[in-house]
Amino acid sequence: MGTAHAASEEVRELQGKTDFSSDQIEHLHWRFKQLSGDQPIIRKENFNNVPDLELNPIRSKIFRAFFDNRNLRKGPSGLADEINFEDFLTIMSYFRPIDTTMGEEQVELSRKEKLRFLFHMYNSDSDGRITLGEYQNVVEELLSGNPHIEKESARSIADGATMEVASVCMGQMEPDQDFLKIWQGINIETKMNVRFLNMETMALCH
Amino acid sequence: MLRAALSLLALPLAGAAEQPTQKPESLGEPLPGLELFRWQWHEVEAPYLVALWILVASLAKIVFHLSRKVTSLVPESCLLILLGLVLGGIVLAVAKKAEYQLEPGTFFLFLLPPIVLDSGYFMPSRLFFDNLGAILTYAVVGTLWNAFTTGAALWGLQQAGLVAPRVQAGLLDFLLFGSLISAVDPVAVLAVFEEVHVNETLFIIVFGESLLNDAVTVVLYKVCNSFVEMGSANVQATDYLKGVASLFVVSLGGAAVGLVFAFLLALTTRFTKRVRIIEPLLVFLLAYAAYLTAEMASLSAILAVTMCGLGCKKYVEANISHKSRTTVKYTMKTLASCAETVIFMLLGISAVDSSKWAWDSGLVLGTLIFILFFRALGVVLQTWVLNQFRLVPLDKIDQVVMSYGGLRGAVAFALVILLDRTKVPAKDYFVATTIVVVFFTVIVQGLTIKPLVKWLKVKRSEHHKPTLNQELHEHTFDHILAAVEDVVGHHGYHYWRDRWEQFDKKYLSQLLMRRSAYRIRDQIWDVYYRLNIRDAISFVDQGGHVLSSTGLTLPSMPSRNSMAETSVTNLLRESGSGACLDLQVIDTVRSGRDREDAVMHHLLCGGLYKPRRRYKASCSRHFISEDAQERQDKEVFQQNMKRRLESFKSTKHNICFTKSKPRPRKTGRRKDGVANAEATNGKPRDLGFQDTAAVILTVESEEEEEDSDSSETEKEDDEGIIFVARATSEVLQEGKVSGSLEVCPSPRIIPPSPTCAEKELPWKSGQGDLAVYVSSETTKIVPVDMQTGWNQSMSSLESLASPPCNQAPTLTCLPPHPRGAEEPQAPLYPPSDPHPSFAFPPSLAKAGRSHSESSADLPQQQELQPLMGHKDHTHLSPGTANSHWCIQFNRGSRL
Repeated sequence: MGTAHAASEEVRELQGKTDFSSDQIEHLHWRFKQLSGDQPIIRKENFNNVPDLELNPIRSKIFRAFFDNRNLRKGPSGLADEINFEDFLTIMSYFRPIDTTMGEEQVELSRKEKLRFLFHMYNSDSDGRITLGEYQNVVEELLSGNPHIEKESARSIADGATMEVASVCMGQMEPDQDFLKIWQGINIETKMNVRFLNMETMALCH
Repeated sequence: MLRAALSLLALPLAGAAEQPTQKPESLGEPLPGLELFRWQWHEVEAPYLVALWILVASLAKIVFHLSRKVTSLVPESCLLILLGLVLGGIVLAVAKKAEYQLEPGTFFLFLLPPIVLDSGYFMPSRLFFDNLGAILTYAVVGTLWNAFTTGAALWGLQQAGLVAPRVQAGLLDFLLFGSLISAVDPVAVLAVFEEVHVNETLFIIVFGESLLNDAVTVVLYKVCNSFVEMGSANVQATDYLKGVASLFVVSLGGAAVGLVFAFLLALTTRFTKRVRIIEPLLVFLLAYAAYLTAEMASLSAILAVTMCGLGCKKYVEANISHKSRTTVKYTMKTLASCAETVIFMLLGISAVDSSKWAWDSGLVLGTLIFILFFRALGVVLQTWVLNQFRLVPLDKIDQVVMSYGGLRGAVAFALVILLDRTKVPAKDYFVATTIVVVFFTVIVQGLTIKPLVKWLKVKRSEHHKPTLNQELHEHTFDHILAAVEDVVGHHGYHYWRDRWEQFDKKYLSQLLMRRSAYRIRDQIWDVYYRLNIRDAISFVDQGGHVLSSTGLTLPSMPSRNSMAETSVTNLLRESGSGACLDLQVIDTVRSGRDREDAVMHHLLCGGLYKPRRRYKASCSRHFISEDAQERQDKEVFQQNMKRRLESFKSTKHNICFTKSKPRPRKTGRRKDGVANAEATNGKPRDLGFQDTAAVILTVESEEEEEDSDSSETEKEDDEGIIFVARATSEVLQEGKVSGSLEVCPSPRIIPPSPTCAEKELPWKSGQGDLAVYVSSETTKIVPVDMQTGWNQSMSSLESLASPPCNQAPTLTCLPPHPRGAEEPQAPLYPPSDPHPSFAFPPSLAKAGRSHSESSADLPQQQELQPLMGHKDHTHLSPGTANSHWCIQFNRGSRL
């Protein structure tokens, strides 16, 4: 597979930390440099250069997630100003697809990780709990990017969603219990994957 | 038995019918005169028989479903085939010749299109496109593989001498046979898999394959057929190339035809605003036109209809009215189910005709083994390749189900019947083999697939009610994934899907959707809308049902009857929501969290105004009056909120419903209504609603002619309640003022002193002593004992002269009584009641603040105790002497 490439010390180290294959790391590094303009770090402004992202209604939230200390496993709250390549990989690893070789436990673990990532997106004040009000705001924010939904309807949808959440949880959501419930209809571990990261198989087919 | 006899009637009748009509002529009577009775069987024969067959099939379905046990074990398709066999046997025995067979023409032109349209139109498009790669692989590569390997293997079998020499067939014949026998049949797959409930990915792969492989089957069949007709010696290299090219022409052409018609259909429905009634018809007509067009051009008709249904659905659903949508849905399902039933039954009947088939054990057994083996092998090989690319690989169990779920069906049978005996000498053998294969796959595999799925523990589809959050999250997901792909710089599936959606929103939707629909139509909004409709319907259903069991209705006033029903429904609703109207007591906000909670709470109650109904009689046959969509949405939403809040409160937080509160109010209203009946009848009232316009009741003339009382009641129902936010002190003062005015004579329970509510937020007070758990069931049962009414309620109230905490449980069952009593009593009240709106005595207002401290209250005050803990939520404003009613919310603590 990827062993043909002479993996440098650094790459190998990263490989151990993030479970990415060396091919994937190399590609991601290439992309990282492209984004950062050959700098060792990426700042928020760098993301503005990605043209395809402009139309994404929730891009600010997503950018935020990239710089969220909790996602970077660096601290309980706050935003980082810049991220280096390792951080970049850490964020990307949330989108790794599950593997057939993974055991039950690992799948569960990966599911939890993915959930946590989402949770952090909703929990804007990083206090570990999503209150109904917070949730409502986030939903409204999500909808506000959609030009086809008027303010009024966005509001009522947000209200409706909040009502639904209210019916499963006690006023606020904790990451591991109530938050799970509202996601129960979706198989996160099978959906929150980005194909590209599955480089291994690409290499295999070549 | 009876059914069989019915269908057989056709034969003797046909003979019998001849005589009466011919007699007059044979006698040569010059003046036939007026015939009193004429038997014209021949004029109706064809449609009559068709109707009869469908009837028989439907009745059979009903009979099958009488027994749950049988249908849970045996798929319906098996039962129908067996029934067909029995019927065919009877027909054969009676008529001495096989009648009523599955004619390929009928099958392809009439029976197949509804099924395919149904499956295409209701195909979960997202799921379909998510798995399109796998589906296409199985459909194209898999079918080709099956056809060639099966054909070649059979030929090998013949060469090995295992097939009797009577079967005169060359390699091409076997390939032709292989091509028709190898395609997985959509009808059979659908019939079996719908009952098995495997997980949706697995289902969509097998089912999508069965739909899309039609193109391949058609091409293979036609190419092989023409090769056979030309004779293998005359086939040249260019013909093979043409064969390959025709694969693309047929499949892409079919798909293109479908898409063109989908476009036309969507565009047409954009302009049907004034002729709603023909909307469903358009859907069927254009889809059928797509099928026929493709068939005419010998393209893949199944593909055309599938694409048509798949492509047009989004726009059509947005354009047509809600009623049309329902009509389309049910008509489609009915037609498809009919066609399916008839197909399986006719399959059974056709099998009986022994003149058409000739048996060869070697061929039959060989085919059976080969199709099973090569299907499994093909699936395993393809899955291995696919899994290299799939993010979510298909595991072994999935592969087993996919191999085993490759059912053959009526398509194969129809195709084999179409063969030309002069060109394909072995046709009879092929027919017999096809029948056996179809029967084997449908019956044996159909019977065993359910236990197999259970035994293998295949992931079943979990049926969740669709929720708003789910839809929201899925959207969020799409955006996140698309964003991450962008960041990574890889243009993958999500990227293209995102692109397509943008294109669709920018151009396609604007072109194909009605402006109004386009504005509000969004997936999220759609789900939201549907959920609300569903909630509203279930709500109304419950309410209506509850009332009908009470016997409260007055036989003399049929129209009023229904009014009473709805108003009680409203009462129920209101009483349920009454629990959450408590806001005034939050005057001590302790923390930011509480503050936020309070805001949420206000939000949640904010929507709780009474939904109104509009009555509109429509006499036109051609136009269905359309309701103002937005208004309805809003209304339904409010209702929905209310309901959810109720369940939320009752189930999670042990807060009981205030039932007593709204009731007095209602009574007052009723009274008032009676009093003012003459004056206000027919005129819209000035209502303090958010959107006043919506409240205006359009009473059609016929309704007005009816009991004036009824229309009055109707109007009443349409009124709303205003929630007014006031500062605490204001309300308290008002409460005092109103209390001083008069205490209403009607049985009323006064909101109790909320103990905890004062200090805590209402939903947090669940732990308080007073909290009583009232399940939603209780509320629903309520009206049942309405008639037992007044006395009971009084006596029970009297017996409650104990501290609030003790009485609470007993009281929960009370709510019904007072209201029940009021309903009939309402007219008895003096029409000149000076205070139509109910005012709470001063003690109430005080109670709200002080009750928690004072354990013992005055006896009369206790009599007035409300059923539930914290309930002074709603204060009636005394100032509403006019006909509309206000509930005032004290929102002193609101931010």
